[in-house]
Amino acid sequence: METIVKELFPLLKEITGYIYPNEIELQWGILVVVYPYVTGLVAGAFILASLVKVFNVQELQPTYRMSLLTALAFVIVAPLPLLAHLGHPERSFEIFFTPNTRSAMAMFGFVYAWYLMAVLLLEIWFDYRGDIILWVKTEKGWRKWIHKIISLFSKDTSERALRFDKKAVKVITIIGIPSAFLLHGYVGFIFGSVKANPWWSSVLMPIVFLFSAIVSGIALLLLIYMVVTPLRAKEIDMACLDKLASYLFYVMIIDFSLEALDFIHRIYESEESIKILAELFSGKLFVSLIVIQLLIGMLIPLGAIASVKMFRTPGELKKLIYFVSALLVQVGIFTTRWNVVVGGQLFSKSFRGLMVYKMTFFGLEGLLTSIGLLLLPFIILYILFNILPPWEKAREA
Amino acid sequence: MKSLWGKIPEQIPRLSVLLVILVVLFIVVRSRLVPPDFGKYGHYRASAVDEIISQEIRYAGHEVCAECHDDVVGAKKAGYHKNVACEVCHGPAVAHTEDPGSVELRAPRARRYCPLCHEYRPSRPTGFPQIVSNSHNPMKPCITCHDPHDPKPPVTPKECHACHGAIARTKSLSHHVYVPCTRCHETPDEHKVRPRIVVASKPKTREFCGECHAKDAPSEKSIPRVDLATHGERYVCWQCHYPHLPEAR
Repeated sequence: METIVKELFPLLKEITGYIYPNEIELQWGILVVVYPYVTGLVAGAFILASLVKVFNVQELQPTYRMSLLTALAFVIVAPLPLLAHLGHPERSFEIFFTPNTRSAMAMFGFVYAWYLMAVLLLEIWFDYRGDIILWVKTEKGWRKWIHKIISLFSKDTSERALRFDKKAVKVITIIGIPSAFLLHGYVGFIFGSVKANPWWSSVLMPIVFLFSAIVSGIALLLLIYMVVTPLRAKEIDMACLDKLASYLFYVMIIDFSLEALDFIHRIYESEESIKILAELFSGKLFVSLIVIQLLIGMLIPLGAIASVKMFRTPGELKKLIYFVSALLVQVGIFTTRWNVVVGGQLFSKSFRGLMVYKMTFFGLEGLLTSIGLLLLPFIILYILFNILPPWEKAREA
Repeated sequence: MKSLWGKIPEQIPRLSVLLVILVVLFIVVRSRLVPPDFGKYGHYRASAVDEIISQEIRYAGHEVCAECHDDVVGAKKAGYHKNVACEVCHGPAVAHTEDPGSVELRAPRARRYCPLCHEYRPSRPTGFPQIVSNSHNPMKPCITCHDPHDPKPPVTPKECHACHGAIARTKSLSHHVYVPCTRCHETPDEHKVRPRIVVASKPKTREFCGECHAKDAPSEKSIPRVDLATHGERYVCWQCHYPHLPEAR
């Protein structure tokens, strides 16, 4: 009790207006910000992969496997912030064993499991199977065994089997698109369905989440592609990069329009919450919402990519602009999640006061854990790139 | 038959075996880990009910108190504390009901106990008696003046803020600070004794506020004026303007 009072008492001085006594402590901190951010990257990376297989965008072929592995690396990490936030991770399996169909949060376990097992792993398996069989033939030691186990000791590399692989990949991708929509739309739903919170409660929430997810996924792949390719001493495929930037640009415009629509809708509706929300925008969220999310994370990258498209830009400058824009987009999308999760808890249910969020550095709910959780997917991705090199077509070797 | 088997691509049997292994594993682990009586009555372990029942009962319930202390319970029933159960102040009483001779219940006599409910908090409902314990007869235990079983104030409060603390504090910040409560509210003496039954009145007409705020009202010049004929005609003023803080928007 005393430690709680000691932690919360200094916050009292930073409160403005009137809040209810139980609102002083924010329940959802930075870990819950990391969770939708990471899930969004998963959905976004997968949608990008589906562009190649379903919509036949051939320019993006170099990023196809990369996006699948990125989605896998991030989906493995996606539930970890929740487990760290809730505590007792050893009990988490119970949501699978005794499913509660009336709880949207409990049902997430199944959405997640479906997406991981029925979509991602299966698609990666079918896509890599032919290559792995060829790798096994030339490899020795533990690598050979890992690949043997991953391919489920498959041996058939006949034309018919490879054709079946291709067909399977296409079918799974088609199933995967609604699944990816479900995965991240669901995260938006969790917030959008909180009817007591006017900042969250909106039917547009799942859709806005989804499009911002696609934005962040494409931007992430652009970054990974631009970093990994020079590290492998290979030339960046400019056609691929241009296409990535184009898709990033188009989806950002949709995302921007949706957010603007949401904003205009709120202002026109002017429910009783509008005054406190206006106070929130102009005060505590001004920097993170107007400056970082809107200006740095949205308008500047949009303007930069648009000017690259309009004017003839030399290759190196183009790369630099794409890279910086994608980086800014990542910062922008992370702050979008921040503004939703933390922003939604900064005003009192009385609509008459504003609270304050103080992030801790150490501890399970602190900044350090979050940084660790954001770095972890890249470590997993490094391992995945090693085991399943996305650029190496064994048949060509 | 053999040709049909040959037509199935190699991938299908391999994945099917993996799927079967996973499903069987899930079923086996689930049957081990989920308690057999889970879901019998609802989304919980049925035997949890028995476990909860078998916990030691410590609270007796206020009906039991009346069996021996009917005089006190009777007095309490008529007073303001009629909805406060005996054990709220006296603590869990099962041990006392089983052996009244040797187990005695204590009532908190220290001054810090009553403010748990009666200290002034803006979030408490208006009309609920609240004090600022630092300034309300400091050092004296509450029970020297108030009988907890019939906590009528020893003296009928003269000022409204004894019960309407939040309103009084809000008003003290507003332009209406020097308007006495009774200028707008008619408060029969009975209201101070039976506040919920005999309630204070509220202004019923627009002309009432007009006594100060109408264009031609004989009041101080600095007071804001409206034309009653055209300004928000169908409504009584306080339906839009909060009289205790009229400058609030």
